[in-house]
Amino acid sequence: MHNDTWDAATPTAAPSPPPRRRWVVVLLAVLLVLTMGAAVAAGLVAADQRDAAAAWQERATALERQRDEVAAERAAVAEQLDAAVAALDTSEADVASLEERVRTLAEEKARAEDTATTVSVERDVFIELSERVTAATSALDSCVTRLFELQESSVAAFNAAAAGDQVDVDALNRRAGEVRGFCDEARTAAAQAEAAADELRRS
Amino acid sequence: MRGDPHSSRARRPRGLWLAGALAALLTACVEPPTEPLTAPLPAEVEERELPEVAATSLERRAQEVTVRVRSLGCSQFGLGSGFVLPGGVVVTNRHVIEQPREVTINTWDGRSLPVSVTGVATDSDLALLQLEEEADLPVAELRTDPVDTGESVLVVGYPGGGPAEVAEGRVLGSVDGTVLGEPAEVLRVEAEVAQGSSGGPVFDRSGRVVGVVFAIEVDAGVALAVPVETLLERLDADALVTPDPC
Repeated sequence: MHNDTWDAATPTAAPSPPPRRRWVVVLLAVLLVLTMGAAVAAGLVAADQRDAAAAWQERATALERQRDEVAAERAAVAEQLDAAVAALDTSEADVASLEERVRTLAEEKARAEDTATTVSVERDVFIELSERVTAATSALDSCVTRLFELQESSVAAFNAAAAGDQVDVDALNRRAGEVRGFCDEARTAAAQAEAAADELRRS
Repeated sequence: MRGDPHSSRARRPRGLWLAGALAALLTACVEPPTEPLTAPLPAEVEERELPEVAATSLERRAQEVTVRVRSLGCSQFGLGSGFVLPGGVVVTNRHVIEQPREVTINTWDGRSLPVSVTGVATDSDLALLQLEEEADLPVAELRTDPVDTGESVLVVGYPGGGPAEVAEGRVLGSVDGTVLGEPAEVLRVEAEVAQGSSGGPVFDRSGRVVGVVFAIEVDAGVALAVPVETLLERLDADALVTPDPC
């Protein structure tokens, strides 16, 4: 019995799928492979990005810690700097005060030296004046002594002349001349001492 | 209508390059830098004003090199000012040490040092002294270039033989010095200067000597100073003479 229906028991050649359908299958397979490749690649990229993100996160944490440390360090340094500036101000004030004291003492010392120098000069002047006055006084004293001696000699000569004795008038005159010269020198010394005293008085 | 096949071939590699670049951009993983961060000092630190330190101040330095001069003359006792140069040379005015018998300098910190008179200038009110012993005193530096009108200066001296005083002032200009017995122009300096400052130095703002005070215009409150150029010429010993003895 034959009919148009297909008999499965009858071995016949299987009909090959149409070329278009095969092409679709290939395309789907390729798409599947590509999709899987893309998925793998995306997975790898995601892993890399995760690692990078973790590294950045770690970096950010480290920087935040570093920032806090630097801020603390800066605050400590600022505090130390303030303390150093305060200490420096105090030291400067102390130094200025001490220097002012040094200047004052230096001025006192210099003035004392001025006075000592002046006194020294005055002492030298007084010593010189004293020496002149002493010399003039001594010369005048000698002058007076010699005048007394001349006076005595003159009186003796008058008495001798009155008694009719011989008197050496020339000798008496020579002696008077010597005494006059001696007394002139004494007067000159006295005048010099007086001039020195006047000069001292003027200065 | 069909396009140019060459054109489509040329477009395809460009598209591939763009796709590759996009993929590289998307997949690029930028690792964080490993080096530590550095930054300039904060502005408040950079701009912080430190207190003035006296040890380095110009006023202190100026006082240190300025000395008080005491001269015992034949018939007078003179007081003035001066300043120390390298080699134990002391500069002062001629009129401070006239007919000197004994000259001594006093430093700001109380030292008294004997000096001998090297010589006096015949045509300027300047005299050079020489320290008789080593003293390790701070020394002044002379400025070689001319001073400018209006320039700010410091005048240091021992007015009245008292403590050292520093007066701020400015250069008013120069005047003919021949009427004052000077060989050239002299500086006019507006500053509070009193008798006893004769021989004291005039410093510029760098601490270099630009003049030597030798006279005062009392009414105008102006000091007259021998310019450093004249001093530099007189530092040559040949330009000096021995002062008159008693």
